[in-house]
Amino acid sequence: MSQLFRRLRYLLNRRRFDRELAGELEFHREMRGGRPFGNTLRLREEARDAWGWTWIDRLGQDLRYAARKLRQSPGFTITAVLMLALGIGVNVATFGFFNLMFLRPLPVRDPGTLLHFWRQAPQNLADNFPYSEAAFFAEYSKNLSAVMAASGARLKIGAEGKLLNAHFVTPNYFSELGATAAIGRLLDPLQREGPVVVLSYPFWRSHFAADPSIAGKMIHLNNKPATIIGVASKDFSGLGLGTPDLWASIAQQPYFISGSDLQGVQMWGRLRPGLTPSVAEAELASLAARLRQQDPKDIWENETLPSQPGGYAATVRPEMYPVFAIVAALGLLILGAACATLGSLLLARGVSRDREIAIRISIGAGRIRLMRQLFTESLVLAGLGSATGLAMGYAALRGLMIWTDSPEWLNPAPDWRVTAFALSLGLAAAILFGIAPAWQIARQRVRATKVRQILIGAQVAASCVLLIVAGLLVRALNHAVTTTPGFEYEHVIAVYPSLQGYSPVQAAAYFDTLRARLSHVPGVESISMASNPPLGNRWTVDKANVAGQSINIHSNHIDPRFFETMKIPLLRGRNLMPGDTQAVVVSESLARVEWPSQDPVGQTFSKDVVVGVAANARLVSPEDSDAVEVYHLAPQELLPSMVVLIRTSGPVEPLVPLIASTAKSIDPLLFPEVQLLKSSFSHKVDQAGYATLTAGVLGLVAMLLACLGIVGIVAYAVSQRTKEIGIRMALGAKPADVLSIVLRQFAAPVIAGLLVGIGGAAVLSQILRGQLYGISNLDPIAYLAAIGVFVMAAVLAALLPARRALRVDPMLALRYE
Amino acid sequence: MPKNEMPSGALVLLILRVLRSGALHGYAIAQRIHVLSSEVLHVEEGSLYPALQRILLKGWVSAEWGISETNRKVRFYRLTPDGLKQLEAELSGYDRVNEAIQSVLRTA
Repeated sequence: MSQLFRRLRYLLNRRRFDRELAGELEFHREMRGGRPFGNTLRLREEARDAWGWTWIDRLGQDLRYAARKLRQSPGFTITAVLMLALGIGVNVATFGFFNLMFLRPLPVRDPGTLLHFWRQAPQNLADNFPYSEAAFFAEYSKNLSAVMAASGARLKIGAEGKLLNAHFVTPNYFSELGATAAIGRLLDPLQREGPVVVLSYPFWRSHFAADPSIAGKMIHLNNKPATIIGVASKDFSGLGLGTPDLWASIAQQPYFISGSDLQGVQMWGRLRPGLTPSVAEAELASLAARLRQQDPKDIWENETLPSQPGGYAATVRPEMYPVFAIVAALGLLILGAACATLGSLLLARGVSRDREIAIRISIGAGRIRLMRQLFTESLVLAGLGSATGLAMGYAALRGLMIWTDSPEWLNPAPDWRVTAFALSLGLAAAILFGIAPAWQIARQRVRATKVRQILIGAQVAASCVLLIVAGLLVRALNHAVTTTPGFEYEHVIAVYPSLQGYSPVQAAAYFDTLRARLSHVPGVESISMASNPPLGNRWTVDKANVAGQSINIHSNHIDPRFFETMKIPLLRGRNLMPGDTQAVVVSESLARVEWPSQDPVGQTFSKDVVVGVAANARLVSPEDSDAVEVYHLAPQELLPSMVVLIRTSGPVEPLVPLIASTAKSIDPLLFPEVQLLKSSFSHKVDQAGYATLTAGVLGLVAMLLACLGIVGIVAYAVSQRTKEIGIRMALGAKPADVLSIVLRQFAAPVIAGLLVGIGGAAVLSQILRGQLYGISNLDPIAYLAAIGVFVMAAVLAALLPARRALRVDPMLALRYE
Repeated sequence: MPKNEMPSGALVLLILRVLRSGALHGYAIAQRIHVLSSEVLHVEEGSLYPALQRILLKGWVSAEWGISETNRKVRFYRLTPDGLKQLEAELSGYDRVNEAIQSVLRTA
C-alpha cells in the first residue's frame, strides 16, 4: 500500500526526482575522477525503470505522435472517424435500447429487491393471479416484506365516453416504490379509502391542462363519481412500461367495473434483506398449497411461483432471443464492414508511409515499438470513433423516444454501461482494423496482398449479408401488401363488447340481440364470433413438433358462421355444427404436415375428431409461415369473452358509428371497442415497413462502406503498378488487358466474400422465418437482387479508380523514378 | 584488479548492511563495499543506482540532502526501520543458506 503511495509520489514529482538523480550521477562521475563511467543518460533511464512509470512516458510520446500524424491528414482522419462512429453508433443505439428496457433499474425505491411473480403448474402458465391469492401471500409471507398487485382496465371518463387506461393497485403501491406526489397526495396504505384516484403526470397535463388545484375535484369514471386526491410526480415510472392515465385502489375495481371479479392481477413482492428469491419462491409455493385446501378452484394443483427481477421496465423472455440475436448480428456486421474498410484504408496509407517507417527502423526503432506506435494511432481513431458513435447512438435513441412519445423517466442518456459498451466496442474495433495493418507496416510488408484480399473479402461478405436480409424483408413486405393473408380483412369490423361480469347465458342473450339488430342493417352481410379475432391482440399458441418440424399451432374458438364471414374456404369435410364438442377443423398446412398421405377427415387431433379442413389463413400473425390453425366450436362458458366479427358489402367506415351505438344500446354499462381489421392489418404492415426501412438503410450503409474500401484499394493497386502498366501499354496492351491486370487480383476475394455472405445470410435468415409473410428465407429473387445490386456497385467502385490506369502515359511512367 | 560482479539480491543486502552504521551517498556506498571487501567486490554504478531506486521504492531507505566531503550538495541514503527489519531477515536467511552450502562443501 505504502509502496503504491511512494510510486504515485514519484509519478507526481517525476521531474524533480529525475533532476536529482542526474545530479547524483554527475557527482559520482566527478568522484571517480576521470576513470571510465557509463553513459549517464542510459544509467538514468535504467534507474528510473525501477519506479515502473516508463510506459507512461512512451504512451505520451506515442499519443502525441499519433495526434500529429492524424492532424496531418484530416481527410483520412474524418473519413475513418465517421466510418467507425457509424459502426459503433448503430450498436450503441441498439444496446442503449436494450439497456433501458432490461438492464437499467426503474427509478423506484430499492429496485434490486423487487420480484415479479408468475404462476406455473405442470399444465398451466400465467402471469396473473386471482387477487385473493396475492392478498393471501401479502398476509402470510414472512420472506416478502410487501406484496403489491396491479391490474389494468379501460375506463370511460366523463359523459363523452373517452376511454382511458387505469391501473388498479394495492394501496401500498406508491409508498413501497418511494413515489412522491407532484400535487396533493397518493394512495395511503394505512387508511380505508373510498373511490379516490391518483392521476399520472402526463394525463394531468393533457386532460386537465395541468390544473394546479386539481386535488379534491370530482370526475366520473364509468359513470361513477370519484375524487382526485393527487398527481404522481413526473418521474414516477410505476412497475413496467405502460404508465396508465390514473391509478385507483384495487378494492375499488368492482365499484367502477360492476361484476369485476379481480381474477387477473399482476403480482410483485419485495424481498426481505439478505434473502434469495428462491427462498421466497419456495415459501409462496407452500402457501399456495395451503390456500388450495381452502380454495381448490382458484389455485392450481402443484402450483409453483417462479419469479424474475421486478425492478426493470421489461424482463428478458426466451422467445426474445432470436430477435436479440438478429439485431445484434446486423449491428455487428455493420461494425465489421466498417472495420474491414478502415483496415484496408490503413494499409493503403501504410504505403505512403513506407519511407518514414524505413527511416525509423534504420535509426534503431524496434519492430514491437513501431507496431505499438502504429496501433496507438488506431486506438486514437477508435477513441474518437467511440465518442462520436456514443453521441450518434444517443441522438438516434433520443429521436426514437420523442417519436414514440415515451414517458419522461425513460432517459436515453448514456450511463456507465452504455459508455463502457461503446469504449469496449472501440477497443475491439481498433484490434480488428489496427493490428493486421500495424503488423504489416512495421514489418515493411505492405505490398503483400494476402491481408488486403482478406479484408476485401470480409467487407464483401458483411455487406452482402446485410443486403440480402434487407432484400428478404422488402420481398416479404411486398408480398404482404400484394397478396391476401388467406382471409377477408378489407370489409370486416371486430367488436369487442368486453362482457365483464356476464354469465354465459346473459352473454348468449346479448349476442342474440346484437345479431338480430345488426342483421337488418343494410350493408351488413355476415356476422360471426371468435375468441381470438383475426389480427387482434389475443392469441393462443402452442408450439408443437410435428414430423421433426417446429410449428406454431394457433387455436381459436369460433361459431359456425366464422368461415363464411371471414371468407375462408373449406377444402374438405364439413363445417363445425352446433353441438360439436369433440370436433375440430384444421388448416390445410397442418393437415399436410400431420397426415401427409392420408385423408385428414376422421383422424384424431389431440382427443378431437377432425371433421373438416379449411384453407390456410394466418389470422393472428400473417407474417409467420410456420403458423397453422385449429378451430373449435366455442363452448357456452367462453361466450362472455367472445368478439363479434361483421362483414359488410361496401366500405366499412360508414357503418362503424351505427355498429358501435348498437353494441352499446343493448347494455348502456358496456363500453364496446370497435376495430377495423383493415387498420390492424395496415398497422402490422407499417411495423414491418419500419423494420424493412431500417434493414435497408443498414444494408446501403454497409454497401457504401465496402465501395469506399474498394475505391481505395483499387486506386492503390493502380498507383503501385503504374510502371508495369506503362511498359505493357508501350508493348501494345489494349485497355481491356490493362483493366484485367489491375482488377484480376480482386476477383477471387470478392467471389469468396460473396459466397461467405450468401452462406451467412442463409443461416441468419433462419431466425427471420417467422417474419417473412410466407416468403422463404432462401427466396432466390431476394438473393439475386441483393447480389446484383452489390456486384453492380462494386464494379462501379472498382472502375472509377481503374480508369486512371488507362490514362497512364507510357513515356511518363517509364521515366518515373 | 579483477572485477567481481555480484547478483543484485546480494547487492541489496550489502547496501543495507553498509547503511546500518549511518547515512551515506551513492558514491560512498560503492566505495565502502569496495574497501570492506578488501577491494574484491566492485559495485558498478549501472547496478548501484537501479538497486537504490528499488530500495527507495520498497521503503527500506529514505533519501535526504546533505553536504559531501567535497562540499557538494548530494543525496544521502538512510536506513529506515523497515529497512533494518529487512536487513535482519535477509541476514539470518543468508546465514542459514550459507551454512547449508558450507556443510555440503565440507562433507560432499
